[in-house]
Amino acid sequence: MLLLFFTGSVLLAVLAYFIKKKIASHWIVIIHALMICSLTIHEFVLPGQVQLVFFQSDYLSHIFLGLLSIISLMAAFHYIGYARTGEIPVKYVNVHNFGTILFTTAIVGVLMANHFGMLWALMEATTLTAALLIQHDRNEASMEATWKYLFVCSVAIAIAFAGVLFLGFATSDADVEGFSFEAIRNSAHLLDSNWTKACFLFIIVGFSVKMGLVPMFNVDIDAKDASPSPVGALLASVVLNAGFVSIFRFYEAFSGTEIHSWMNNVITVTAMLSLLFSTVYILKVRNLKRLMAYSSMEHAAVAMLAFASGGIGYFAAIFHLSLHALIKSTMFFQVGQLHNIFGSKLDYNIRDYLRINPIGALVLLACLLSILALPPSGMFISEVMMLEAIFVGQPWWLMLLTFVLILFIIYGMSKRILAIIYEKSPSNGAQIQNIRRWESLLQIGVILIVFYIGFVKPHFIVSIIQSAVESLP
Amino acid sequence: MINFLIIIFIVTLLYMAKNEIIKQYIFILALQGFLLFFIAVLELNQIEVGQFTLILAETLFFKGIFVPVFLSRLVKRNQLKRNYKGLLSGNASIFVGTLIVILSFSMAHALHDEHLEIKYFAAAISAIGIGFYVAINHKDIISHLIGFLIIENGIFLLSLALGGEMPMFVNAAILLDIFTTVLIMGIFFGRIREYFHDAHTDKLSKLKD
Repeated sequence: MLLLFFTGSVLLAVLAYFIKKKIASHWIVIIHALMICSLTIHEFVLPGQVQLVFFQSDYLSHIFLGLLSIISLMAAFHYIGYARTGEIPVKYVNVHNFGTILFTTAIVGVLMANHFGMLWALMEATTLTAALLIQHDRNEASMEATWKYLFVCSVAIAIAFAGVLFLGFATSDADVEGFSFEAIRNSAHLLDSNWTKACFLFIIVGFSVKMGLVPMFNVDIDAKDASPSPVGALLASVVLNAGFVSIFRFYEAFSGTEIHSWMNNVITVTAMLSLLFSTVYILKVRNLKRLMAYSSMEHAAVAMLAFASGGIGYFAAIFHLSLHALIKSTMFFQVGQLHNIFGSKLDYNIRDYLRINPIGALVLLACLLSILALPPSGMFISEVMMLEAIFVGQPWWLMLLTFVLILFIIYGMSKRILAIIYEKSPSNGAQIQNIRRWESLLQIGVILIVFYIGFVKPHFIVSIIQSAVESLP
Repeated sequence: MINFLIIIFIVTLLYMAKNEIIKQYIFILALQGFLLFFIAVLELNQIEVGQFTLILAETLFFKGIFVPVFLSRLVKRNQLKRNYKGLLSGNASIFVGTLIVILSFSMAHALHDEHLEIKYFAAAISAIGIGFYVAINHKDIISHLIGFLIIENGIFLLSLALGGEMPMFVNAAILLDIFTTVLIMGIFFGRIREYFHDAHTDKLSKLKD
């Protein structure tokens, strides 16, 4: 099945690149997104099969493949609207669609890889294909963001590769058959702890660029700002999740060893610094896309902090990142619509949204409630679970600091977004153009899913996440 | 023989640290590609066709020929001669480079790992450190690209210190990734020059909070 998927993806990408009509090119991307849905269902029904030697889906892959299916389909539909605005040449659209297909295919590979070397190679492939998406607008901002993303990500991924090589040093004494997750996990207790520590440190530094965490978060923020909103949505959701899955694979492999608490300390430091940076910038930035990007950084940081706390934190982190992926991508789509309507990304140029586009304002308000983890959003439940895990697993002062920083973030986010929705501005009337209400209707569908999942907590979703983390101590 | 080649490799690194002439960077990168080829071949216990082909492709063809030719064309098209003067001068850079090499060897010795090939490990860490230094010291994007390539050479040496643990297919995927990275970076380098009419990193300051 996977061979069919990879071959089909490459063929569709080539077709999307050469086809002359924009709409046909868009439909190819939609067909590819449907292929990801089919693959997800296939893997869910027939789990655990080793495919093409280096790939094997597990519960964690199922969760994030499901999210990738929904978000890539949403991004494909929203890009149709984006490509209609202005005079975007067919060539730009074709390159974008070519890049989107290869990018989502690489993400599928990352989620399903069962070998550390292959995981790394596909992670690098996501960087290269993401560069094609970020450069879309061909202006100074997008070129700058693309260059920085390409350069810093490549260096970061090279650092992660050094981490993979350190894993090789760690296995020198142990009789380990290859670099598969299973082989490393089974002989983890035989590995040299100094080398596994070095490996994990380099992996955290390297893949922090994908999760948008300290130390390599800057280029991720720039990329989300300068790229079209459907691309920003993909970067803020599926790439963040792919980064998490990559770190999870190493963490899971070493979790049965003596370095377990040391890994938790490293993650805690990274997460707290990320939370601190994101708070400062959320209070400062006026650019809505950057605000969203820093908000993603905040959520990734709190999720990692909960993850490092252990216990219920493992479940809560994955549950939260899943809901966050759906809401944050929706929010990026809506911010794209705001940008389209008002011709600006700066919050003080965008006012009175409730009057101008009531459905869009409703979406934005629901997203705000979710992202701030307030009821009735499902993220309220996941955030409460995460705070519980942090309360139990971390020192009291760290919990207090986290709580205070989250309060600042709630203030900063709500101040900006509520002003956009409710504050009147007499100068807005003349600028209004191109309201695509169907986009908001699609977004409402996703928000309802998040509300439903959060409150009903369907048994099959809970059991998948529990199964994904059952190997952790 | 390997020790001699490693010493030459480290000398080229020190020269890279102080250099400011782009053509010389490219020449040294080509030389490093050839050095890495000979080191890798001498390191092989037995010659396997697949492994030998991959080493040949990665070092001689890619690092020794493709990258230098590609960079030369890029430099010619953009009429680049020297990179921007670094934050630290040539002599200070030699000092920093030497310090990085000494620290790398000290670190390799301090690790006390019997499986570790100290010479490869120390040369690899030196290359990674000096690669970072070249990228940070000079504020232009061609130096970023050259710094990245030096880091990649260091990572290659690090993989030699590990031995042939990775399956052939994964090695091929890694090689393809690095090849594409250099290609795409090269293409974007040209685009950046088109949009900003300069390669100085200070020009890349449109995106900020």
